[in-house]
Amino acid sequence: MKRKNIIRYIVLPLLLILGVAAIYIYKEYNRTHKDTARLKADYSATAVDLMAEFSANEQASNKKYWDKVIRVKGMVKEVTHDEKGFYSIALGDTASMSSVRCSIDSIHGNTAAAVKSGAIITVKGICSGYRADELLGSDVLLVRSVVENEK
Amino acid sequence: MKKLIIITSAVLLTITGFGQKYYTKSGQINFDATTSSSPEKIEGVNRSATCVVDTKTGNMQFAVLMKGFAFERALMEEHFNENYAESNKYPKAEFKGEIKNADKIDFSKDGTFSVKVKGKLTMHGESNDVETDGKIVIQGGKIKATADFNVKLSDYKVSIPGLVADKVAKVAKISVSCLLEPLKS
Repeated sequence: MKRKNIIRYIVLPLLLILGVAAIYIYKEYNRTHKDTARLKADYSATAVDLMAEFSANEQASNKKYWDKVIRVKGMVKEVTHDEKGFYSIALGDTASMSSVRCSIDSIHGNTAAAVKSGAIITVKGICSGYRADELLGSDVLLVRSVVENEK
Repeated sequence: MKKLIIITSAVLLTITGFGQKYYTKSGQINFDATTSSSPEKIEGVNRSATCVVDTKTGNMQFAVLMKGFAFERALMEEHFNENYAESNKYPKAEFKGEIKNADKIDFSKDGTFSVKVKGKLTMHGESNDVETDGKIVIQGGKIKATADFNVKLSDYKVSIPGLVADKVAKVAKISVSCLLEPLKS
């Protein structure tokens, strides 16, 4: 094969493929989490219904909701934040210690700062599971959450 | 006689009232498995650990969902959950133990105390004894509990592929920090 043809038909395409692969690997390696505010909710539920579903069948609920985006509506039981400004909002009813605990994404801390106990709000977050506890109440946990504005 | 019964009951109630449970649902646990030769940090943080301490008995329990560990890079978090912790199979890690010298601590007064904590850590389906030093700071009716300890990943059947053996440490450093409030019964 002529040298020109080798370069044109083998070397160049190979370099192109390697270049595309390198860019893909670099982007995948450095990929950060998607902003939950921009993600479409896979499920919508009230806090009370979500807790009841997990309480009735934890295994099935884990399979259904793990790593999915859930939009949860409920009454604010508690808003807490640590010394680094990471907010957590507990949704549910005051009758039990159980709640849907939403860890607010640090980039959306401002959406949680204004939330008051007793308010009915909607939070969108990624389900990280269920923590059953007889003494402390069983919680459904959401991570990378954002408080949604009422439209 | 009646006065004696009332006084004795009051004293007994006071003594037993000093034993109280404290808790948190937003304890922080840091996980660091970075080696000295790794070009990047292999660390994750969980801000939703539960912790309960019984100040009367010294009993201490932690529970944490593995999927709650947040890593800066999404790929690292996915690998942690899918390949290392196998979070779908073993969603929770737990510690059940006690503060060894709890009887020497007056939890009703402000103070700082060095403590020894001993118990069983269950993670990735395996349980092992753990003993570590910790610190307890009592202030304004709340308890700040902190501890640092190491976890040998092979003890919990967490295997590290040879390809990343120079990046991921065989022994992970765990840091615990919890602010506990009285549990209202």
